[in-house]
Amino acid sequence: MSKWLIAGIAALSGAAIVFAATPSPEDVGVMAITARHVKTPPVGIDDPVWQRAVPVLVPVAGRLEMADVQGTVSTKVLFTDDELFFLLSWEDPTQSITKESWRFDGEKWSHLKGDEDRIALLFEIDRISQFSSKSCAVVCHSPADLPRAQWKLATRSPAEKGDLWHWKAARSAPYRHADDGWLTVAGNPSGSYRETGRRFDTGSGGDVKNETSDGLRPRYMQDPARKPSVPGFLLMEEAVAISDYSGFKSGDVIPYRLPVKPDGSRFDVKAESRHKDGRWTVMLHRKLDTGRDDDVVFDVRKRFSFAIAVFDDSGADHSKATRSLSLVFQR
Amino acid sequence: MTATPSRDENAMANVLPDMSEQKPSDLCARGGIAQLLQAEVPADGICWHRFFGALQLALIGLLFLTGVLMALAYTPVPGTAYDSVDYFQFSLPFGDVVRGVHHYAWNLLLMAMGLHLLRALVVGAYKAPRQPVWISGVLFLLVLPLFIITGDLLPWDQKGYWSTQVRFSIIGSIPVVGDFLVQLFRGGPLTGIVALTRLYVLHILLLPCALVLLIGLHMYFLATRGLSGPVSGNAAQRPKAPFMPAIVNRGLAVFLLSAIVLALVAWQWPAALGDPADPTDSAFIPRPEWWVLSLNQLVAIFKGPFMVIGSAIIPGGIVFLLGALPFLDRAPERRPSKRMGVMLAAAAVIAALTALSVMGYVEHFVRPGH
Repeated sequence: MSKWLIAGIAALSGAAIVFAATPSPEDVGVMAITARHVKTPPVGIDDPVWQRAVPVLVPVAGRLEMADVQGTVSTKVLFTDDELFFLLSWEDPTQSITKESWRFDGEKWSHLKGDEDRIALLFEIDRISQFSSKSCAVVCHSPADLPRAQWKLATRSPAEKGDLWHWKAARSAPYRHADDGWLTVAGNPSGSYRETGRRFDTGSGGDVKNETSDGLRPRYMQDPARKPSVPGFLLMEEAVAISDYSGFKSGDVIPYRLPVKPDGSRFDVKAESRHKDGRWTVMLHRKLDTGRDDDVVFDVRKRFSFAIAVFDDSGADHSKATRSLSLVFQR
Repeated sequence: MTATPSRDENAMANVLPDMSEQKPSDLCARGGIAQLLQAEVPADGICWHRFFGALQLALIGLLFLTGVLMALAYTPVPGTAYDSVDYFQFSLPFGDVVRGVHHYAWNLLLMAMGLHLLRALVVGAYKAPRQPVWISGVLFLLVLPLFIITGDLLPWDQKGYWSTQVRFSIIGSIPVVGDFLVQLFRGGPLTGIVALTRLYVLHILLLPCALVLLIGLHMYFLATRGLSGPVSGNAAQRPKAPFMPAIVNRGLAVFLLSAIVLALVAWQWPAALGDPADPTDSAFIPRPEWWVLSLNQLVAIFKGPFMVIGSAIIPGGIVFLLGALPFLDRAPERRPSKRMGVMLAAAAVIAALTALSVMGYVEHFVRPGH
């Protein structure tokens, strides 16, 4: 009898401890994304190790004029001892990588219609007030006298700091990375707010506008002596200034935004991407701790608030964004 | 006609005989600690089903110790409170272990307290002359939850903040004194810095003082009224064991073992720290802790004007009946099989609380969307 009692009491005590140890991130109505630990990192989008991740369909929705636009982003997260991996997939029937490329009609150059698809992830480096519950809404700021269209992404105070991973189909995908930036207060908070709170991490990267000083035609073209390393894109390092425009014929297209070879902290977030069957699939990965002040440190004991925004053929802030998400690590 | 055994018959003959006939002041005057160390206790006091009292003391010791360590880094100001807890847990060496031990010790303490009380009820340890021991033990039921109510808000995370809001709402439903109590705790219409300061002071100062006093009272009654003997009532030839080293060593062993086990648990499964509190996020619905599932369900059953039934009348009635048990069941018989009325009533209450807990678990954890 005593043995059964002891066993029962031990079981009850164990249950209480297990209950107490069980995290309940859903408490807040915040969707939890669980990162599973793997010993071997995924080497690509199709790596079978991704089957070990827990897929979560994260709802995304537009706001204001895009309020009726909704969708989901399938999200999987894995981590190794030193690196974090996201596999993000969302429906997008059209692959948009035009980004206002130049087109020659035989007489003059003009920009093609069309922009690019993008996805952005925002984390907290230093706590952003209410970000964990209000998500991106708390980093959209403006002086009261400006219309909504001129609001910019920024934090309220310098003490708040975000980490922004920005994958761009036309500008960062060619170099297989997501542009790594950080978020702070707007550059000119008391003025026009034209400068956002977005800052680039240290290092090189980004893109160059391919236009002459008068803005009427492209300035660069593919170096004829080099084979394009990424077909369909013109990389700045492979471009040469156009010295003779007479050789172009009607219908020629030259990219307008030329990706610059990334380096340094700006190149921390590596990416693989594919558009197939009307879906984008993007794998992002970064070291858990880059050792840099402009990056969030992923301590696997903690949970991290973050948000995802998807941009469809857009060069503006118009996006479909998630509500607050919580990244939790499970060993 | 029932006969109440005298203290000489039942307790004083077999429990702490060196101390029982002396007042505490006498003990102090004559070198009480020395006498305590020389005292003897019944050898059957060292058995597994009396383990929970020692475990509770060990856990309370751990809670004090870890609480002091956490207080060294804590800032009781909304906003920075969260950051200070985050810093303590994730930036200071062993911060996660210390906070985890504090977290798990509470859970285990509640479990140990319940089992300690259940054991005393089953063996009839509340019977004369140990009524004060029982009543002082029941008083723990009123004090310990206050520690959790006051402590939950301190990290200033979403769960703590909104759980506190729910509790204030429940407390406010108590007739006559409800609003006053909420005002006393909160210090204003909103849960802000005043509430945090008040709950912090309660948690680290006033309640620990009350708990120490209660423990002292409980131990004093235990020393003077004695440990309960065998349920058969035959305590004539109970063998003795020295308080020092038998009891002291046992207590130390329980303390060390508890500390090691809880530290390992905390190291493996750190205590959760939720998102920072957002008082404007009314969409947050906190899940109740395991120990409060039954009470939460009671409140859910009795809604609106009847809320007070679930929030105060039933829980208060159970605690009152527990406290009054020595006076309701005055027969000297202690064998459970001969006390079927009390046993059945206790079983019914336990079954009801278990059923409510299961219902609460299903509602909040299995089908939270419903």
